[in-house]
Amino acid sequence: MKARIQVLACKACTEMPQLLDMDDLMNVASERELVVSSMLVDRVCDPKIIKRVVAEASERDVDRVLVLACQKKDVNPGLLAAYKRAGVNEFMVEYINLRDEVILPHISDKERAQAKAETKAVAGLERLLMLQPLEKAEEVMRTKNVVILGGGVAGRKAAEVAAAEGAHTIIIEKSGSSHKTPGVIMPNSTLLGAKGYGGNFVLSIKAGEKVEELECAAVVVATGGGWAELKGPLAKAFKSAVPLYRLHEQMQTGAVPKGPVVIVDSPDPAGKTLAVQDFAWDDTLELAIDLKKQQPLEEVYVVFQEMRAFGLSELAYKDAAELGVRFIRYDRAAGPKIDPKEPTKLTVKDLAQAEVLTIPIGTLAFAAIPANKDNIGIATALRIPMSPEGGVRRGSIQRWPVSTPRPGVFVCGSAMFPKSKDMAEAEGEAAGLMAGKFVMKGVIEYGGVVAEVAQEKCSACLTCVRTCPYDAPYIGSAGKVEIRIQACQGCGMCAGICPSKAIELRGSTDDQIAQETRTMLGGDF
Amino acid sequence: MIVAKRKPMAEIAEMVAPYKTVKVIGCRSCVAICLAGGEKEVKMLVSALRLKAKKEGRKQEFEGLVVERQCEKEWVEEVEGKILDSDLVLSMACSLGAQTIGDMYPKKIVFPALNTGIFGVPEEQGVWSEKCVGCGNCIIHTTGGICPIARCAKSMLNGPCGGSSNGKCEVNLEVDCAWYAIHERLKLQNRLDLIEQVSPPKDWSTSHSGGRRVYVRDDAKLTQHQKKGKEAVR
Ligand code: SF4
Ligand code: SF4
Ligand code: SF4
Ligand code: SF4
Repeated sequence: MKARIQVLACKACTEMPQLLDMDDLMNVASERELVVSSMLVDRVCDPKIIKRVVAEASERDVDRVLVLACQKKDVNPGLLAAYKRAGVNEFMVEYINLRDEVILPHISDKERAQAKAETKAVAGLERLLMLQPLEKAEEVMRTKNVVILGGGVAGRKAAEVAAAEGAHTIIIEKSGSSHKTPGVIMPNSTLLGAKGYGGNFVLSIKAGEKVEELECAAVVVATGGGWAELKGPLAKAFKSAVPLYRLHEQMQTGAVPKGPVVIVDSPDPAGKTLAVQDFAWDDTLELAIDLKKQQPLEEVYVVFQEMRAFGLSELAYKDAAELGVRFIRYDRAAGPKIDPKEPTKLTVKDLAQAEVLTIPIGTLAFAAIPANKDNIGIATALRIPMSPEGGVRRGSIQRWPVSTPRPGVFVCGSAMFPKSKDMAEAEGEAAGLMAGKFVMKGVIEYGGVVAEVAQEKCSACLTCVRTCPYDAPYIGSAGKVEIRIQACQGCGMCAGICPSKAIELRGSTDDQIAQETRTMLGGDF
Repeated sequence: MIVAKRKPMAEIAEMVAPYKTVKVIGCRSCVAICLAGGEKEVKMLVSALRLKAKKEGRKQEFEGLVVERQCEKEWVEEVEGKILDSDLVLSMACSLGAQTIGDMYPKKIVFPALNTGIFGVPEEQGVWSEKCVGCGNCIIHTTGGICPIARCAKSMLNGPCGGSSNGKCEVNLEVDCAWYAIHERLKLQNRLDLIEQVSPPKDWSTSHSGGRRVYVRDDAKLTQHQKKGKEAVR
């Protein structure tokens, strides 16, 4: 059968239609052979629009789709589900991330942006033609267990919600615990490792002196994150300094911090090791506004090397500035200092005015805090990635705020980064619900984009076995590598590193990538 | 296993520049496993050489091939046609592979793309450390299973020297002292008495300085008769 392609483009964000000539882009795409439907819509994620788009796809007998919008994980999964229902193989829907790859990098260069968008669209169409439909298979989950790591506010809430969904919950708690929660609590226990994959994990748990194996279908990471004590010269000089999230907690209980309040990004401004965590900027703005509203007459100083306010946060920045919050930007070479002999004053060279300011301190808080090594242990045991902040990394803030990139592993609360109690509890609720629903499906879907081994080429060098983050490859009975497809997440690392080129990723083979690259470069190379 | 490293790109490019038809031949065994000369490395080198030739306006043809084990004639014969058809063979096997091709086709020019290095053990993904130098007269039954020839900077037979401190070697403080490790291992095994025994000078005639070494397993060798038979069926 000849390919029948639908091209779908989104103009939801303000920048895209401003920067790009969307009609031109659509023309370039729809002029290509085999494109039978092209639609430029207001918002690809809108369920009503999805309905319309997919109806047209059905009508025109479309069998593959090019989506010009955002990255796949940010687009409403309902779109893919609708295509699936309409009989389009889910692996024949290709997403081109125009926002991150075209709009943001070329925001000030209309011409380049247009050219790149068109090239990417055409390359995507070429790739689509080389795609094969892939199928998924199902495996039954052996248990309905949801293991929750950590019995704090977030963990307990997650247990409660997951249990209400019908899951069996088991809380693994580092210390002894007396809190009441549904399900089982294993006190004095820690996670050592995890075999298997989402839906059918076997965890090894150290319970007291014993090591036990525990089957479960899903895991919720709800550890406190164990954010380390404040270190660094500023924290040393000003003894009662607190992390920002602590200050937030104190204010929620009605406490009124002593003014002036100084928020510095890091307790060690000259240090190299401590990166300012992503969340620090937003949290600081929010808190500064609260402080100003609480005590309009007290000064609030925000002393940061750099202040970033993305998207809507810009409004928060504006509000804060209007309320009189003072922003001071510094250079690491002349960062803020506190003389331990006179710890009520902070001196810093303001970059904007190029002069040294002396600021009185009533309360001192730090937005960036060093993470504890505990997180690394958990991330390693579960094979989930860490964020640059030193916490567990979540999926995408828009669509997967309490998921990790690993199916069946969810995360909430301070395991990601330090949070206030109410926030942690809200996330616990969400993670519990996700885990509960995941487990109650009772089956795992697997396959599709997974690694495939040409055994005759395999040198049994073990490189893929050592590299795969999910333990999917193993040496089979023939002495060559085989893939546990249920575990494979299609990350492609094995295919990239295999020295014998024995592995290819289905749906992303060398030929497909070469074809795409060739199109982009506009010729052979 | 044998561990090798690819030569710097500039060196390789200069070596191959005068030749028109270049066959880059890798090996699926040791050098594939140590990520230096398997199919992937061959493909990457071929693309890089192609790009460079194109950029510098040279008309050269590169083709990448891989054989199972380049140090074995039978495997090399699989690509005989390609070798005969070349101006240059750039071997991405260890030097054994390169020399095998050279010995089989003496008129053909064979260059190495790799620097053959050590007998190494993968300590972790991507890290190989030398544990044996192939001295030909193994003594590790007396040294707690640790080879002082390979692992001691001075290849001492009766160590440690006076420079061992805190388990590190005086020659390079990043490196563990082999004799300290031997001491610790023997202590663990309750065999510390061995460290007090003086080892006499070693018989180095088996070592490399005597010229090329050949290892023969008579029991594995084919008889003349068998050889003839094999040749007949070829
Ligand atoms: S990396 Fe490649 S050659 Fe090595 S074991 Fe895996 S499949 Fe085989
Ligand atoms: S693609 Fe390869 S490395 Fe990635 S999960 Fe699958 S088997 Fe593991
Ligand atoms: S030529 Fe032989 S010794 Fe050299 S890397 Fe290949 S298999 Fe190993
Ligand atoms: S310090 Fe140890 S390893 Fe180094 S030369 Fe002396 S005995 Fe050898």
